[in-house]
Amino acid sequence: MRLTIDTARCQGHGRCYDLAPELFTDDDSGYGEVTVADVPADRVELARRAAEACPERAVLLDGV
Amino acid sequence: MPDDTAGAAAPADGGHGLRAATLDWVEFERQRAEDPRAYFSRLREKCPVDYDEGHDGWIQILRRSDIDEVLRNPEVFSNLIPELMSSPLPAIPMGVDPPDHAKYRRILDPLFSPRRMAVLEAEVVANTVATIESFLDRGACDFATDLAVPLPCSVFLTLFGLPQSELPALLHMKDAIIRPESLTDDPDERVRIQTEAGTQAFTLFGTVLAQRRAEPRDDLITELLKAEIEGRPLTEPELLGICFMLMMAGLDTVTISLTCILAYLLEHPEARRAIVADPEKIPTVVEELLRWETPVIAVPRITTRDTEIAGCPIKKGEMVHVMLASGNLDPDADPRAGVVDLDRADKRHLAFGGGPHRCLGSHLARMELRTVLREWHRLIPEYSLAPGASITWNGHTLRGLDSLALTWPTDAGQA
Repeated sequence: MRLTIDTARCQGHGRCYDLAPELFTDDDSGYGEVTVADVPADRVELARRAAEACPERAVLLDGV
Repeated sequence: MPDDTAGAAAPADGGHGLRAATLDWVEFERQRAEDPRAYFSRLREKCPVDYDEGHDGWIQILRRSDIDEVLRNPEVFSNLIPELMSSPLPAIPMGVDPPDHAKYRRILDPLFSPRRMAVLEAEVVANTVATIESFLDRGACDFATDLAVPLPCSVFLTLFGLPQSELPALLHMKDAIIRPESLTDDPDERVRIQTEAGTQAFTLFGTVLAQRRAEPRDDLITELLKAEIEGRPLTEPELLGICFMLMMAGLDTVTISLTCILAYLLEHPEARRAIVADPEKIPTVVEELLRWETPVIAVPRITTRDTEIAGCPIKKGEMVHVMLASGNLDPDADPRAGVVDLDRADKRHLAFGGGPHRCLGSHLARMELRTVLREWHRLIPEYSLAPGASITWNGHTLRGLDSLALTWPTDAGQA
């Protein structure tokens, strides 16, 4: 699964790196940043939760 | 569906919203505050959406799945609510809907990021320790009025780069604006006090803005002055609206959260001992107790068109009350929602709301809550309710304690 952040939508709520620090970090301005773009199978559930929790629906999880 | 089984002579358990039709609303809210978990559990089992005819058609959304749906659809469930947060100017960003809302949040969110808040932490720790040390040797304090009320106000002053000597003035302004009824019984005098305090607040913010324009600093206000929306700086009314909103949203919310959490720890010595023994647990404990207590019980929305929730029709222009305290304990969303697990790893609770309007200051609030819990338990690991004192929950949407009298052993042995 491929994990991305739509930077045009992201406003920096910080839910992604808060809920899933294994997959995201905060950039210098506080916006979310993906650290593990190719999500291993055992982290897909975590990635899905982060995507669902994003208030702006900016966290995208796609099968490749 | 709305429970319409209640008649005028309904028993205490049978009214709309489980409120007996004869029970006064204020008294009902006070009773609910005693045990909101039991109340919401019973109500949620009866209906997903509660409609209280006896209280201006009060609509409560109770299930987690419906709450998520409402909070994520600001096009239908709007924040354009008149007089939101008692603000005479548009309350930015809370009172603004998408798409404009996003433009403000994109500026504001980074200013309240965890990294930004970490920079403030040293000063928050110092203020917390100084406050606790002012009463430490006494072996007694009112946790609510001596710490939970002033601390968020002192943090606000830090955030705005104002001197701590402004604390008494800020405390008065906040009470006069948020609850003028606590200062006078006279309705006309209430309005006068509230208006006067609003003017004082705007004067204060106007002065700070002018000072930072003249002498920029590395602080929130300076960043707001530098910020641009679609290539233009924020206008003075926008800046003042933001400042006012930050004051309204960041003070009492932290105060009540502190009292909720301390009351829980007071009544659960094993939880208290756990964080005394291992302060590293505090962040997780804070999250779980925010979920369990949900101090901000509800947030309002207003519908922009006819719609329905869980099959219940709701007309355009109706207010709906999103009951965060109910959604946080919904067993349909999490079978373990009804138990406190101080090691719970899942932090997807609703204590900070949800959707685009989710609390801007969550990272700041957490830092304050963690700091107070850490420093308090480091300095006062053992405490108990003061003799003769009791715990009385207030019945407001912001549920907390106005007073929490505590005592603890001192070196002088005068506990």
